Amino acid sequence: MQLAVELEELGTQIIEASSFLEHAEKELSLRIIGQRDVIRRVFIAMLVNGHILLEGVPGLAKTLIVSTFAAAMNLKFQRIQFTPDMLPADLVGTMIYNPKDLEFYPRKGPVFANVILADEINRSPAKVQSALLEAMQERQVTIGSQTFPLQEPFIVLATQNPIEHEGTYILPEAQVDRFMMKVIVDYPSYDEELEIMLRSATNAGKVPVKPVVQSADIFRARALIDRIYVDPRVQRYIVDLVVATRKPAQYGMAELESMIEYGASPRASIFLLLAAKAHAFLQHRPYITPEDVKAIVYDTLRHRIRPGYEAEADNIKPADIIRQILQHVQVP
Amino acid sequence: MSLLPAFSVAEGKTEPPSITVMVTPDSALVGDRIRCIISISHSDREVATLEWPDAFDTLSSRSFELISSKHLSSTQFPGSRQERFELELAVFGAGRQPLPPVTVVLRDSQGRVTKKGVYTPPASVFVRALTDSTMHDLTPLKPLLKPKIPFLLIMPVILGAFSVAVLVLLLLFLLKRIVRKGAEKVDSGQVAQRKLRKLGSSLSAGMPPHECYEELSNIMRSFLENHYRIRALEAVTQEIERDLKKLGIAGFENIMNLLKQADLVKFADSRPDVEESRQSLQKASEVIRSTRQSRPPEE
Repeated sequence: MQLAVELEELGTQIIEASSFLEHAEKELSLRIIGQRDVIRRVFIAMLVNGHILLEGVPGLAKTLIVSTFAAAMNLKFQRIQFTPDMLPADLVGTMIYNPKDLEFYPRKGPVFANVILADEINRSPAKVQSALLEAMQERQVTIGSQTFPLQEPFIVLATQNPIEHEGTYILPEAQVDRFMMKVIVDYPSYDEELEIMLRSATNAGKVPVKPVVQSADIFRARALIDRIYVDPRVQRYIVDLVVATRKPAQYGMAELESMIEYGASPRASIFLLLAAKAHAFLQHRPYITPEDVKAIVYDTLRHRIRPGYEAEADNIKPADIIRQILQHVQVP
Repeated sequence: MSLLPAFSVAEGKTEPPSITVMVTPDSALVGDRIRCIISISHSDREVATLEWPDAFDTLSSRSFELISSKHLSSTQFPGSRQERFELELAVFGAGRQPLPPVTVVLRDSQGRVTKKGVYTPPASVFVRALTDSTMHDLTPLKPLLKPKIPFLLIMPVILGAFSVAVLVLLLLFLLKRIVRKGAEKVDSGQVAQRKLRKLGSSLSAGMPPHECYEELSNIMRSFLENHYRIRALEAVTQEIERDLKKLGIAGFENIMNLLKQADLVKFADSRPDVEESRQSLQKASEVIRSTRQSRPPEE
C-alpha cells in the first residue's frame, strides 16, 4: 500500500533532513552513556521550539547532557546556576553607565545564548524565575528601554532536584506550564553504570565532541515538522487525553474525579501535538500515529496535572493518573 | 402536698397556740421553690407573728433559703383567732430534708410578748439532685408503642419476604452465570469471521475502502483482545506487537502487517483501492483461521 504522493515526498525529505540528529546522537554517545530517552526529549524540544524541565537527583549527568548537546549542535551554551541571592538583572542583563561618554549602555545577560541550562531553577526567588520564564515565552528581553530578541534556536533546559526542598522556591503551576515537557532523569542501568564508571574514572579529560549540526539544519527540520500530517482521529485522540485529565468521569473514570485537583491546560494539547510531530520526525515518518502521542504523553502532561488531596494521601502520582487515562481513552 | 400537725412550744399562763403546717409540693428538684402555709390558732386577745433567724444554724436550715414571707389572713372565731402565714422557701441539698424551725411570737393588745417559742415542723421535703436519672424524670421517655398486630403474626410475613428476596437474588446470580458462560462459549474467531464477511458485503455494496480498513482494524483488535486476552482496543500497534511477541504467537507478522496497513489508511491519509481492501479482508480471514487453530494462552 502506498502513501499519498505528498506524504511520500515529505517522508523522503524527512529522512534526509533528520540525518543530522543521528550524527548528533552519535556525538552525544561519546560522552553520555544511557539516558537515551532524555536526549530524545531534548531533540524534540529543540525541533519544536519548546523548553524542558529536567528533574532528577544530583549526579545523573543532567548538566553534561545539556552541555554536550549544545556542543554537538554547534550552539552557544550558557549555564546559569540559580541561587537565592540572584536578581533578574543577573539573568537578562542591565544598563551600565559609561563615564567616558556619560551614557548608559545595555550589557546583555547570560540568557543571550542558544542553549540555556538553568541549573536548580527552584533555588531562585520568584522574580528571577519569572524573568527567565518570560524570556522563554516572549523570546525577547527588555533591558532599560530597549528590547532585544533572543537568538534562535533558543532552548531552556531547567533542572530541579526532587529531594531537597529546603530553601527552595517551588515553581508556581502557571510557570511550570510554560515548559513543554518535564522529563524525569532516572538512574542508569547496571551495565550503563559500569560503563560510566570505567569511562569516567580516568585522569584524561572529557572526550572532545565535534559540532555536527548547523542552525540551518534545525530550521529546515522545523519547517518539515510543520508539514507533518495529523489525521483528525489523532487530533481528537490528543484532545481526548487532555480533556480526560479535567473531566475523567466523561471517559468512564469517575474514581479519578477526586484524585485530580485540576487537569491539563489547553497548552498541553498544543505541546502534545507539537511533541508528537517531532517524535514522528525522529521516526522518519511524515504522519503522526497514536504511538507518537503515547510516547511523549507522560513528559508532556505530568507537570500539568495536580493530584488532589486523596491522590496525595494514597501516594498516587500524576504518572499513575496518566497511565489510567491511557488505559481508558480508546485509541483511534 | 401534706398536712402536718403543729407542735406547740408556747410558754406562759394561757394555753399554747395550736400550729398546723402545709407544704406544697413535698418533693422538689434542688433549687426549686416550695410553699409552706403555717396556720396558728391562738386566743383572740393575742396577735401572732413569725420570726426568722438571720442565719440558719441547724443542719436542716442550711437546706432552705427563705425567699419571702407574708401574712395571708386572720380569721376570728368565738374566743379564738386563726392566723395564716405563707413562706416561700428555696430548697437545696439532696435527699429528705426536714423543714427549718421558726419562732412563733404571741403579743397582747399592748404589744407585750406573752408567748414565744421555737417551732420545728415535724415534716420534711424530698429534694432530688440534678442527675441524669432526674433528667429522665423531667422528660420521661415515651413508652414503647406496642404493635397493633401481634409479633407472632408479623414474623411469618417478614420471613416470607426475606425468603422471596433471597430466592430472586439467587436466580439473578444463576442467570448471570449462565449468560456469561454462554458468552464465553461464543468463539471470538467465529465472531470476527462473521464481521469480516459482513464487511466484505458492505465493500461490495459501495463502502469506501478507507472506511473498510478502519472497521478491519477494529475487528482485528477485538479478536486479539478476546482471543489472546491482551489489551488491544486501547493499545497502539506497537504495544500490540510487543504483547504478541511476548506471547510468542506464530504468524504474528501477518497480524502486524494488517494492523500497520490499517494504520496507514487511518493516520497517513493513504487511499487504497477496492481490490486492495478485498485482499486485506481475505488476509485477515486467513490470519484469524490460522490463529484459531493455535490455542489461546492459559490465564
